[in-house]
Amino acid sequence: MSKHDTPLLDELESGPWPSFVTDMKRQAEKKPEVWDILGQLELSFKDKITHWKHGGIVGVFGYGGGIVGRYSDVPDKFPGVEHFHTVRINQPASKYYSTENLRALMDLWEKYGSGMTNMHGSTGDMVLLGTRTENLEPLFWDLTHDLKQDLGGSGSNLRTPSCCLGKSRCEWACYDTQETCYHLTMHYQDEIHRPAFPYKFKFKFSGCPNDCVASIARSDIAVIGTWKDDIRIDQAAVKEYVAGNYPSNAGAHAGGDWGAFDIEKEVIGLCPTGCMSMNGDELVIDNAECTRCMHCLNVMPRALRPGKEQGASICVGAKAPILDGAQFATLIVPFMKVSADNEFEELIDFIEKVWDWWMEVGKNRERVGETMQRIGLPTFINVMELDPLPQHVKEPRSNPYVFWKEEEVGGWDRDIKEFRKRNAM
Amino acid sequence: MALSKEELKEKILEKAMKAAKPQLYVKDFYKCDPETKPRAIKNAANELVKEGKMTFWSSGSTTMYAAKGRAKDEEGEGGI
Repeated sequence: MSKHDTPLLDELESGPWPSFVTDMKRQAEKKPEVWDILGQLELSFKDKITHWKHGGIVGVFGYGGGIVGRYSDVPDKFPGVEHFHTVRINQPASKYYSTENLRALMDLWEKYGSGMTNMHGSTGDMVLLGTRTENLEPLFWDLTHDLKQDLGGSGSNLRTPSCCLGKSRCEWACYDTQETCYHLTMHYQDEIHRPAFPYKFKFKFSGCPNDCVASIARSDIAVIGTWKDDIRIDQAAVKEYVAGNYPSNAGAHAGGDWGAFDIEKEVIGLCPTGCMSMNGDELVIDNAECTRCMHCLNVMPRALRPGKEQGASICVGAKAPILDGAQFATLIVPFMKVSADNEFEELIDFIEKVWDWWMEVGKNRERVGETMQRIGLPTFINVMELDPLPQHVKEPRSNPYVFWKEEEVGGWDRDIKEFRKRNAM
Repeated sequence: MALSKEELKEKILEKAMKAAKPQLYVKDFYKCDPETKPRAIKNAANELVKEGKMTFWSSGSTTMYAAKGRAKDEEGEGGI
């Protein structure tokens, strides 16, 4: 039985698509406070303003993140949502769960919270929506002691690292994304659970340039698998694709009427650098020109595989649009070995160099990508103790300018007469 | 010469108690000792929270620090 009239929200149930309003009404039969969420949302629709107050000092003892305080600004009307805090839970690597674990989590959330979830937040955490302050400590105790799970990051903390399926299922993974994600999560527990920076900071790990966790668009440091040598070609399998015996894209688009497979049109003609050609019935790749777009590997997975010398490209500075608009990460290290053998030493050194610089020069609430943009890529590359590379330039062939520093050219002062003796105008 | 950890904590707490704004960003404490690295300052501020002398205030996306009793508290009359 509905507690509040919600004619505006009810409209959202009338379309052909699944409605969160229907889901919430169902949940409200078990958890009456959910009626108050619907009531408050209806009021927000009428008033055209949010009625949530965001933020606060709530948390669990010893942690400075993982809980986001949320309060109603109309608690007299909607007492069930007077407190409605969000709990972020560190998801397992690649989001593998057992159904037993999911059931246990949902039982926990029915016990201490509203039962409403967001699976998953854009950082990757499991997000549990809506509980009261007095429930936080008991929830945290059960979560950590019975389920052996932990809170994720929020605020100015390192946010919960996330990764693609990696080597658990994907033959394209060029490094072990799950191992890397787990290792860095454990290594940086202090940074995940307590504030450390001028603003949020995110890592994401993708095993190949398909970048299934969209790390290049969403993370401050994106670790994207790549290879250094040549794409491995199985010419016999290429012939099978050309003959139509193997389905392109592993059959992913098999439902449509696409006609016969045309390697010239569907692969070679779509290569962004034009580095592919046919020599008779053999596929030829000019690997020096390949930009690892993955299109040919995606279309012909049985014929083409990443090279054998594998590692990752490191990109820095992606963010969503809050200040200057959305921005992709910038390639900083074209190739780095990423290995558990040396406990990811090279990657950790890189990360901490970025942090040391950003903590020093970054402004409050400024993402590292914004700091890089404000101060300039040449300075950032210099601080990272890297040599400028053609890969740092968006279009090195059409924009060949290099800005030299005074010390690199032995000073700006020249004896012009001496110079003109050798270089007549 | 950089301050000792205890001296640094004292300076941070003093700033947190006397600053015009009750809630401060971690960068606001950098000036407590320009010779100390930002990471050490962050660690000292976090230790003060652990000791119960300061509290975190988080909007969800950013975290600020406040001396105990000065943080904006949605649940009580004054700060906690």
